Amino acid sequence: MARHVDHRFQINLRGVIDLLSHHLYSSPGVYVRELLQNATDAIRARQLLEPGHTGTVRVELIEKQDGGPPTLLFSDDGVGLTEEEIHRFLATIGESSKREALAERRNDFIGQFGIGLLSCFMVCDELLVVTRSVKGDGRTMEWRGRHDGTYSVRPSEHPLEHPGTQVFLVARQDTAELFTAERVRQLALHYGGLLPFPILLTVAGSTARINTEGAPWRRKYESSSERRAALLAYGREVFGSDFIDCIPLKSSSGDVEGVAFVLPFSPHYNAKQKHRVYLKNMLLSESAENLLPDWAFFVKCVVNANDLRPTASRESFYENDTLAKARESLGQALRRYLTELAKDDPRALQRLIALHGLSVKALALDDDDFYRLVIGWLPFETSLGMMTLVDYRKQSPTVRYVSSLDDFRQVARVAAAQGLCVVNAAYTYDTDLIEKLPRVFPDAQVEPFSAGELPQSFEELTLDEREAVFPLIKVAELALQPFRCDVAVKKFLPKEVPTLYSSDAEGSFRRDAERAREESDDLYGSMMDSMLGGAPGSDRPLLTFNFLNPVVRKLAGVTDRALMKVSVEMLYVQALLLGHRPLSAKEMALLNQGLLGLIAAQLDGGEDSGRGGMH
Amino acid sequence: MTAQDWREQVEELLERAGRLRHGEAKVMALEEAVRLADTHGDLERAFEVRDELIDAATFGGFPDKALVAFAWCRAQAKKDPERFESDMLLWKQKWVVGRLDDFPHISRKQIQEALDDIEQTYARADAGKRAILKLRYQTARDMGEEAEAQRYWDQWIAAPRDHLTDCRACDLDDEIDHHIDLGEYAKALEKARPILEGRSSCAEIPHLTYGSVLYPLLKLERLEEARDCHLHGYPMISRNRDFLATVGEHIEFLALTDNVARGLTLFEKHLGWALDHASWRDRFTFHAAASFLLSRVMAEDRDTVSLRLPKAFPLYQAQGTYAARELHGWVETQAREIAARFDTRNGTARFQKLLERTRELSRDVYPFVIDAAPGPK
Repeated sequence: MARHVDHRFQINLRGVIDLLSHHLYSSPGVYVRELLQNATDAIRARQLLEPGHTGTVRVELIEKQDGGPPTLLFSDDGVGLTEEEIHRFLATIGESSKREALAERRNDFIGQFGIGLLSCFMVCDELLVVTRSVKGDGRTMEWRGRHDGTYSVRPSEHPLEHPGTQVFLVARQDTAELFTAERVRQLALHYGGLLPFPILLTVAGSTARINTEGAPWRRKYESSSERRAALLAYGREVFGSDFIDCIPLKSSSGDVEGVAFVLPFSPHYNAKQKHRVYLKNMLLSESAENLLPDWAFFVKCVVNANDLRPTASRESFYENDTLAKARESLGQALRRYLTELAKDDPRALQRLIALHGLSVKALALDDDDFYRLVIGWLPFETSLGMMTLVDYRKQSPTVRYVSSLDDFRQVARVAAAQGLCVVNAAYTYDTDLIEKLPRVFPDAQVEPFSAGELPQSFEELTLDEREAVFPLIKVAELALQPFRCDVAVKKFLPKEVPTLYSSDAEGSFRRDAERAREESDDLYGSMMDSMLGGAPGSDRPLLTFNFLNPVVRKLAGVTDRALMKVSVEMLYVQALLLGHRPLSAKEMALLNQGLLGLIAAQLDGGEDSGRGGMH
Repeated sequence: MTAQDWREQVEELLERAGRLRHGEAKVMALEEAVRLADTHGDLERAFEVRDELIDAATFGGFPDKALVAFAWCRAQAKKDPERFESDMLLWKQKWVVGRLDDFPHISRKQIQEALDDIEQTYARADAGKRAILKLRYQTARDMGEEAEAQRYWDQWIAAPRDHLTDCRACDLDDEIDHHIDLGEYAKALEKARPILEGRSSCAEIPHLTYGSVLYPLLKLERLEEARDCHLHGYPMISRNRDFLATVGEHIEFLALTDNVARGLTLFEKHLGWALDHASWRDRFTFHAAASFLLSRVMAEDRDTVSLRLPKAFPLYQAQGTYAARELHGWVETQAREIAARFDTRNGTARFQKLLERTRELSRDVYPFVIDAAPGPK
């Protein structure tokens, strides 16, 4: 009778398994990853002792004759464990009841082995490990553990011929779906697809290799176009997208290598791309986010890292100095790609900008050299259509821009008619990019423009014209006094526009506060008053009449002051509405009375002239 | 323009806003959508869009715009409660009322009445007192009413949680501030642990916490931790003007540890926010910290500094050379003037005391080199 003692874990194993499955692992399928990881570590340890040892992982699915849950046999020809090491991994399991301790144990071979085995209890109730170490006396040991926390260790009655480890898992009734041939194949391929040694799967007596040979970016290709095609095909297989390009990635910090795929669509501004990352050729995560600099949201990557530290859950990388440096290097690789496009293939760069302008702009903001290179290709919306800042500067030495949509809408049409080019810099990064221009090109000048400044560029009236419109100015000033609106008369294009209402952003906010005040009760109404009083003194809005407009010319000649006043009020309201400015209650009343008044006047006048025509 | 047109435009603006991070561009897109809906008299749409604007303005650093949008929504919900859902407004009322004391032109009386008003509103919604007690505590604290602040603090901490109280991370962060006020740095840091270790977080936590623990960590000479908090915390806040005051805390820390060049980089980058920020309290924190930083520049016997400051800055120099003394004088005057406005409104000396604290910071200087790469979290 062999020495045979039943032991009990010194911990609540159930608790540890709960901890693992609820906090550490995203799905029970990770047991395959953990077993592959153990096998990989064991093979790597043996390769250190015997350089040239290839290593093979064999997975066999053994169906029960009686139709009960199958057994999975997972074996490797790695370094194996000695009896002393078995006791050490058991001790690790004993200490694994804290998350922090778990994370620490991950970094040592024996600790990882124990924790990896524990994950198997998420899918089975009993484990058998049979192992023979390269190092010891050649004995084969076996460890049998149960989920209730009891285990036994003894020399095996079926010694292994060669060093290595076999793990037998008997599926539980409720986890049988994880033990089908297809599922095991998928899981092994999913986690171990990049492993550089064969994984063989045996089902019903026939054996097949699951993985191809290593990462596609490490393979040799006949030509660079073949390489590109193969990588793009790989990207399609991994992410299900037809990417527009692929970029090799490499960083010595963290020993990272892989490929970035350029997205075929514009990503959401805030969307962090989820990358697929492998650690020492084992899949770590399909949703790693912290791998690239912030600006690089135009690519999705697959990379393998040999020297980055995984987090406790092994699902992303630990934020440390090495990762920061790796991120920097990978960012440089992407930057190099964009730089080369700008130099060698500007058309491709333009296509890329059309899709990924935000990424390019974000990088240009951070990086002066890159800014210099791409600013000539970045399109901006202007009052004269889309153009680059370089084109702009060919026409005018000073780049004028507005920073809000509100301003741009006010000025765009009139500015265009005057031949004045104003950039709409309300889009993300645009104001910053424009303001950066003189810092990178010292001879460049940029100037914020506000809607209030537009009338300054209009043509002044002659002395005679001034005399002619003076009554109109007087009447208009008085009529618009209650609305805190100033009046001017100038000549501008297009002449179909009778008036232009202009105010700065502060003025628009004042109007918003006034509308809120009208709606509010005393308490909040008084607060709106305080806000209006405390807001920085803005320039009053300005209504500029266009003396080139026939209606305005006619209006200036009207002698009926009452009619002139109503007409001014109506033009004021029309200017507001054309500028998408919501009317206050007072202005709404103006509109209603004015409309009725004009209709009444028209009806009276119509009847008069009608009668006149009869005679 | 056809009716279809403007509705589509509103949709587009909302979609664009949805893609933007918190900040000016997002707020502007939503304001534009509000104005379109208002122009076309669509009250429902105007209400929905303002609902989003309140969020964007609150978390994007425009508390004045949040207040105005809220006042309008509140008025509609009061007039026609059947038509306008006021449940979400309850939350937003808390944000808005909590920022009222940031505006020196809002009177004490208005603030008190707004607090009474929200108390009644919450009582009608069958909420407990906890949220209101916290608002009252924080308002009293901000306004320098120390005895009253202590009284409300005691009640707040003891009150049970309910559906309208802040999340645990926010509550915890606010508790930390109280201990820092009292100089209980070790206790503050002990309470901050769940936040700093990443076990408790929300939209603005740990962003705020990393800033507020810098001084306590320095005082306890835990410089490595303070450095990590700076290096992790600053990138979280550097692109959102809602965190202007926290930027001030980082600037103060950099000046205290003799990392003056780093401090100036932050000053240069964020001065633009301080020039037109709606929260005068946040402006105060920034300018006070900047005045300390610039006093350190002068202490190094530097007469001039080269900075890329925004064009809107009153002392703007195209070639970027500034006399340290003039810069210092300018930010210090800003801080002093704002302090005087607040103290006059509040009838207390809190801001005067904060200025004194800043003036005495040079005693706490503790040189400590900060390297670029962040340490492990």
